[in-house]
Amino acid sequence: MTVALAATTIAFAPVPAATVTPVERHIRIEAKSFEYSPAVVTVNSGDRVTLELAATDVVHGLYLDGYDLNVTADPGQPARLTFIADRPGAFRFRCSVTCGPLHPFMIGKLNVGSNWLMLRAVGLAALGIVFVTQRCRGAGAQRNL
Amino acid sequence: MTAKGAERAARLTAIVLALGLPVAALIARWAGWGAGRDSVIEIHGALAEAGGWAPADLTATVGEPLRLRLTSDDVMHGFAVGQSDWPAVDVAPGEVTETTITFNRPGKYVFYCTRWCGVNHWRMRGTIEVAGPTTSPAIESPPLYVTLGLDLDAPHPADVIPERRPSADRGAEPGATIPVEFSTGEYFRAHSPAEVWRALRASPASRELADAEVWDVVAFVWRSNSTPESLVEGKRIYAANCAACHGETGAGNGVMAASLASQLTAEFGHGATKPADFTDPAKMLGASPALLQGKIIRGGMGTGMPYWGPILTESQTWAVLSYLWTFVMD
Repeated sequence: MTVALAATTIAFAPVPAATVTPVERHIRIEAKSFEYSPAVVTVNSGDRVTLELAATDVVHGLYLDGYDLNVTADPGQPARLTFIADRPGAFRFRCSVTCGPLHPFMIGKLNVGSNWLMLRAVGLAALGIVFVTQRCRGAGAQRNL
Repeated sequence: MTAKGAERAARLTAIVLALGLPVAALIARWAGWGAGRDSVIEIHGALAEAGGWAPADLTATVGEPLRLRLTSDDVMHGFAVGQSDWPAVDVAPGEVTETTITFNRPGKYVFYCTRWCGVNHWRMRGTIEVAGPTTSPAIESPPLYVTLGLDLDAPHPADVIPERRPSADRGAEPGATIPVEFSTGEYFRAHSPAEVWRALRASPASRELADAEVWDVVAFVWRSNSTPESLVEGKRIYAANCAACHGETGAGNGVMAASLASQLTAEFGHGATKPADFTDPAKMLGASPALLQGKIIRGGMGTGMPYWGPILTESQTWAVLSYLWTFVMD
């Protein structure tokens, strides 16, 4: 009963409201030989984010999962993508222009705010481990009696 | 008996249909029915190292639409025809882009890749031979650098360098009347800013001006020979075709410059020729518009600078040039 209550709390408890004030962020991402640098971008929820994509070998693109945004940049022509990061979570971005043999592996990640889904999953897993060990111990104690 | 006969006839019909239809289709294809006037040409794009465009030599006729199906065998490419207004299209692997081009004038056109697909991107070119009634034997006048007999490869340092960055805004102010011979297009295109400065300095009209103020007048002459529209057009062409090597700021340090150097070393045994630095006053103020136009049209011959003659129209080359001088003059 207690465990079920704890699990429900972990899974569905409302997220504390963001305390950081949204800011304007300008992030330059260089795309070269099948990788983005930086490949992991972290912003706070509500930030107004401008991603500047600069390709430095061949034409590359950037498609942002979850936000459904796409931008393409040729070398010498950096392209910009401005959006408000209003969806919290971790989102993959990937190259949207076939740029060469390793194109499918050209990915990066955008973290918006804390990754609550991940934290909840970790919490539930920890709870599950505690629950199982308790039961095992309980069963062992009963057998010893 | 009749039932058996009907069955045999039905069986025969089925066999004839099953065998005949594919054979008929093959014969039709072999005979070329359905092709002819509005035939579609399928072009495959590939990296220049892997062969470039296939086929790379096309023929067309004036006034008749040339229908193309474009696809790529490796990475993203683009397709555009030089010296024409047909919009560039993207050519992606696994997709087919259809485009139709109609030529108004006969001649030899060049089509080229518009997406940076690799270090040899600019080598991806092909030709379209457009046949047509040659009613007017259009004798194209040679470019200005040929008429003037300029040596494009000779160094052209400016013998005078301004102390401060020349400004056309300031140059418009002094009210020094520019002698009319300096303001003609022919004079402007054949002389470098440094030569115009010397001529203006020697002219009695500028007796009361300081050296820097004469430079401002030179900047004003340069601006008078461009329009806001040509500057915008020049900036667009520069960003799309030049900035990758010459840099967005014109300093010759574009993102492709390093790989270009290593590639030239591998090919020619020298890699010293760097993309030109347009922010260097000594270079830019010592070059006449005709000289720089020649370099654009003819290309760098072994330096990695492509030849833009078949791609940019004359007015486009002037537009790029008017933008180039904004790197050293306001």
